[in-house]
Amino acid sequence: MKRWVGVVLALVLGAVVVVAVVWDNGGGEPELKVVRGVIGSEKKPFFDDPRVRAAFAEHGLRVEVDTAGSRQIATEVDLGRYGFAFPSSAPAAEKIKADRKAARTFSPFYSPMAVATFEPIVGILTRAGVVKGQVFDVKKYLELVAGGARWDRLPGNTAYPARKRVLLTTTDIRTSNSASMYLALTSYVANGEDVVNAPGQIDAVARAVAPTFLDQGYSESSSEAPFEDYLALGAGKTPMVMIYEAQYAARIFAGDGSIRPDMRLLYPAPTVLSKHTLVPFDADAVKVGELLTGDPELTALAARHGFRTGDPKAFADLAAQHGAPVAADLVDVVEPPTFDRLEELIAGIERLYASNAVPAS
Amino acid sequence: MRRLAAVLLTAALTLTACASADTPGEIEDGPDVLRVLAGSEVKDLEPLLARAADQAGVRLALSYAGTLDGAERVASGGADGSYDAIWFSSNRYLSLIDGANARLSTQTKVMASPVVLGLTAAKARELGWDGRPVTWSDIADAAREGRFTFGMTNPASSNSGFSALVGVTAALSDADGALDAARITSVTPRLKEFFSAQRLTAGSSGWLADAYVRQGGVDGLVNYESVLLGLGARLPEPLTLIYPTDGVVTADYPLTLLASAAPEKKALYDKAAAWLRSTPVQQEIMTTTFRRPIVPSVRPDARFGTAQLLELPFPNRRAAADGLIDAYLNQVSVPSQALFVLDTSGSMAGARIDGLRQALVALTGADTSASGTFSRFRNREKVTMIPFNSAPAAPEEFTLPEKAPEPVLRQIRGFAEGLREGGGTAIYDGLRVAYERAGEQLAAAPGSYTSVVLMTDGENTEGADYAAFEAFYRALPAEQRRVRTFVVLFGESDVAEMTKLAALTGGATFDARTGSLAAAFKEIRGYQ
Repeated sequence: MKRWVGVVLALVLGAVVVVAVVWDNGGGEPELKVVRGVIGSEKKPFFDDPRVRAAFAEHGLRVEVDTAGSRQIATEVDLGRYGFAFPSSAPAAEKIKADRKAARTFSPFYSPMAVATFEPIVGILTRAGVVKGQVFDVKKYLELVAGGARWDRLPGNTAYPARKRVLLTTTDIRTSNSASMYLALTSYVANGEDVVNAPGQIDAVARAVAPTFLDQGYSESSSEAPFEDYLALGAGKTPMVMIYEAQYAARIFAGDGSIRPDMRLLYPAPTVLSKHTLVPFDADAVKVGELLTGDPELTALAARHGFRTGDPKAFADLAAQHGAPVAADLVDVVEPPTFDRLEELIAGIERLYASNAVPAS
Repeated sequence: MRRLAAVLLTAALTLTACASADTPGEIEDGPDVLRVLAGSEVKDLEPLLARAADQAGVRLALSYAGTLDGAERVASGGADGSYDAIWFSSNRYLSLIDGANARLSTQTKVMASPVVLGLTAAKARELGWDGRPVTWSDIADAAREGRFTFGMTNPASSNSGFSALVGVTAALSDADGALDAARITSVTPRLKEFFSAQRLTAGSSGWLADAYVRQGGVDGLVNYESVLLGLGARLPEPLTLIYPTDGVVTADYPLTLLASAAPEKKALYDKAAAWLRSTPVQQEIMTTTFRRPIVPSVRPDARFGTAQLLELPFPNRRAAADGLIDAYLNQVSVPSQALFVLDTSGSMAGARIDGLRQALVALTGADTSASGTFSRFRNREKVTMIPFNSAPAAPEEFTLPEKAPEPVLRQIRGFAEGLREGGGTAIYDGLRVAYERAGEQLAAAPGSYTSVVLMTDGENTEGADYAAFEAFYRALPAEQRRVRTFVVLFGESDVAEMTKLAALTGGATFDARTGSLAAAFKEIRGYQ
């Protein structure tokens, strides 16, 4: 089931010819056609970027977006109010495409799941056998979690003697896409290195991976929040956090100094790709999808925001230019389960949240 | 652009009036107004926020509510329509309430402040806690041995108290994952030791700090780092901050858009959030309010120290959070003694006496909301009722047992429902009886947190006057003088004199002239 990214890319991208149409009402401001979309929150900085807005304006469009979790977009959001949905995962997009009977989808960019951490933590995890070089071994990690490992009890750990469980910080599995992408890769490992694809596998896998969520205690609902804690408050609050590679890369490419010298980027093995997939509901939205996929300016801007696009060179060049420690090749990539299987896994974990309920008095 | 700025500046000048409203209510709306239901913890930002109109083109109109109260309102949809955004020190408790997340849209963290212990420099030295690592466990040991005392807010009313309770519990239980019922039960004896040193409480972090500056009486406070650092300038010597090495719980102040907000309010929200996170504003928040910046471009300065702050896990189930507050109130905290001096004069006839009965009945468990449950008379609490009209009636004492409080709660309910009005208003004779009775109770149970609630709907017409009471009060022994009176302003009560009375005893006034008596009583419970 593992797949080379090259294959994925070939599936993702299609050459598109773009025709720019600008209505000009008698020499004044060009009248822009408004296209409304509902998107995963991690793409909001991209759509808010004045350069992105200008690029759309050149083609006569103004794209206005609301944000929601990909799961919400697929299940709760009233999509009738929007021209397109742009969730952060292929399973959610597939579900929307089927529900809305959309003819096609666009996958203009993607980002692998990654782990943001700190140099001392890398040292500790390397000794514990979880990290090798830039690779975070999910299987070893799950074994550590199953054994209830605590930072201050890891052998040879003097750098981070915290009386806390060794747990990756994630977002809330019940609301957030990045957590469900994380679930996609942990469930693959817990299912004996295979994508969960049968209802009969759900219960055992949900039980196996539930502690990676439940034992964290409270978790945030959006992907930006824990990464922000990581950047601003450091290892005390967030020793290691599951993120989209794009979040880390965007900070480096922006050169804003927020990635400090002791910060490290690791790649889980296996990892999954968060494939940002646009589902258009009308002709204008199709145009948005086409522009995002084929317009050189917009794809270059997407790379600046840390996304990998159909033009691998754009991301690679930026990485080289900024000395970004991003992986050149993503080899150990697995497919996420289908939307329905993922939903069943999440529902299984939700039940475990509830089952531990205690009376208040 | 210049003209726009001038208009907005005028708007900014009018902000102060809106923003200083103490009770939540309707805010005057406008095209550039973002209506925010906020926790009082962000009130100190008002001077800074006044400039948002000029600099960001959005007027932030803040109206305040207690943490738990506010959370329940938001979760039930009670804030939809009247507010566009909320701004509490944390959304964590709120997020645990069923259905709450659907009410919330974008959340933007604005700043951070951990809840830690601040002690007088002398006490910190005496305990050997200056300059060496200290754990919550060390602190609990010293508390058990009676080596220091502290003040902390009520965890049911204020986020700093709740955060501290979560942190202490997680640390003392050696919990390496999230807290659950079993852990809370097993750590209760150790929590009792820790909280045996608590001598001061309050419903809000700011009031607690003010009370400490005015009257001292304890060796330090458990509060936000920002509050403790801010106290430095108001005390003869800055407090020594103890950052427990086993972890803290940190407030992150998320400005949160409500899902119900109109699109144009969403645009205002985006502007406000971007402005609050801009480098100069973050810098100023850090410098003037002692909060840690949340954007990586501004690094915390030297005042915050260099110690790594471990974050303790926060419960992820409401039952665990509520179970913890319940354990604190009914098992862990030092038992309190509450004396109610209640006006039953003729002017209370009709809706007023009815409202009083209902307010008291609500405290016997009839109010089943979370905030209502946590304001009920607690297990182990001694409740004394002193109704008065032309003269005080004989005090009636009710002592709630450690377990199964229902029978005593029923007695209190019966007492409240039996209140009848008639006669004059001898406020100070009633109050004198309360202080005398408090003295007897303190002699029997030294160190119990003892307070008086005075509810009157009019001016004093009979018996001793204010001056006589003041003389009586000033002649009391020190321990009795520490009994605070919390006054409910109601009907035609003499606001100036009641405010003077509250100040005399170190208490506070609570306004029930526009709201309900029940709401005022509920709020006061946070101070008992």
